[in-house]
Amino acid sequence: MSALRPVFAVEHLVARVLLVGGLVGLALIAVGLGLYAAHGGFHHHVLQLTRPPGEAPPGVFTSMRQIVRGLRQRPIDPLAVSALGLVLLMITPGAAVTLAIPAFLSARDFRYAITATLVLAMLLVSLLLAGAIHS
Amino acid sequence: MSLTVFSVAVLFTSLGAGVVGAILGLGGGILLVPILTIFYGVDLHYAMGASIISVIATSSGAAASYLRTGLSNLRVGLFLVVATITGALTGAFLAGVVPTRWLELILGLALSYSAFTTIRQLGDELPKDVSTDGLAIRFGLEGTYHDLRLEREITYRARNVAGGFVAMYGAGVLSGMLGIGSGAFKVLAMDYLMRLPMKVSTATSNFMIGLTAAASAGIYFSRGDIHVLIVAPVAIGVLAGAYLGTTVMARMRNATVRKLFLPIVVYLALSMILRGLGIHLL
Repeated sequence: MSALRPVFAVEHLVARVLLVGGLVGLALIAVGLGLYAAHGGFHHHVLQLTRPPGEAPPGVFTSMRQIVRGLRQRPIDPLAVSALGLVLLMITPGAAVTLAIPAFLSARDFRYAITATLVLAMLLVSLLLAGAIHS
Repeated sequence: MSLTVFSVAVLFTSLGAGVVGAILGLGGGILLVPILTIFYGVDLHYAMGASIISVIATSSGAAASYLRTGLSNLRVGLFLVVATITGALTGAFLAGVVPTRWLELILGLALSYSAFTTIRQLGDELPKDVSTDGLAIRFGLEGTYHDLRLEREITYRARNVAGGFVAMYGAGVLSGMLGIGSGAFKVLAMDYLMRLPMKVSTATSNFMIGLTAAASAGIYFSRGDIHVLIVAPVAIGVLAGAYLGTTVMARMRNATVRKLFLPIVVYLALSMILRGLGIHLL
């Protein structure tokens, strides 16, 4: 049994990261929507469901810089708060794998510390490729 | 459509997609993309952006719970996700080089075959004999969970790890090129090739799909496909649905989960064959 315990510790850590990331992301999305509603965003607003050519419509953020700008703006752009929650959700799986690496190491499970590092490296590579394709 | 009506309707639709996704190990994109585009008239790009977020939300919600109860196997997930992400990267490079119609046709036939094998083993609750696969032993691809339905501890070990790894790589290539069903392929490979218990397969797939989706979420985001007002109700609904789905799935029989999974395989097989013939359902 003693051999199993550290492994379960890693699983619980990953589970906790996924749970917290999901809940905090969810809370930010909900707060953003709430603020948007409080500012009257839901009144007489007809949602444009087709993608307009050219300029991105309000509610579409394409970089962290745009989100930060929306958060700094006064009054704050409520949709930027929701967008921040979405970004948090997007990085949660990567964060879980990142934190699993030291956890596997401390459990002396080097094989899976390497596997998790490999997964993280590939996540970063695909992120870089995405950036390269975009620019 | 009025924003309020849209948000509430999409929230409830996504709740359902989250429940189904958590039980079957799918991101819910297979359900959400057609619903959003056909019933709500959402632009396909926005629908796919919403789908990628829904995959991550399902995964975070479901895997958090499955990892704690031991239904998701972290090691199997990490081991196989190496193959899927490498495959997805290869697929992204191959897109545009290899004619996709032939691929779709081949994939459709392969899926039809696995639908047949599913029907044959539909009633099997658990794999029968013990695996002695060398790779499975070396990489510790085994585990134990407490089955709430059978009311006992279930111990299992993966079979045919090499075959499963290759299949996962292929699944990654295809989903990278065609942009479909990566969750369904993962479940198929774990259930049929590696003969893991069905519930372990879907639960582990739930953990893996979050990682593969996270790998491509950045590109959707920077392309401008993620519309906060469309995605927000999807994310909230799917996360809540996924938490709910995990409690339902833990109490189901393995055979029941497989029966629910069969229509998904049949649908995927048909739509791939049709796409290969030049007929797009969407």
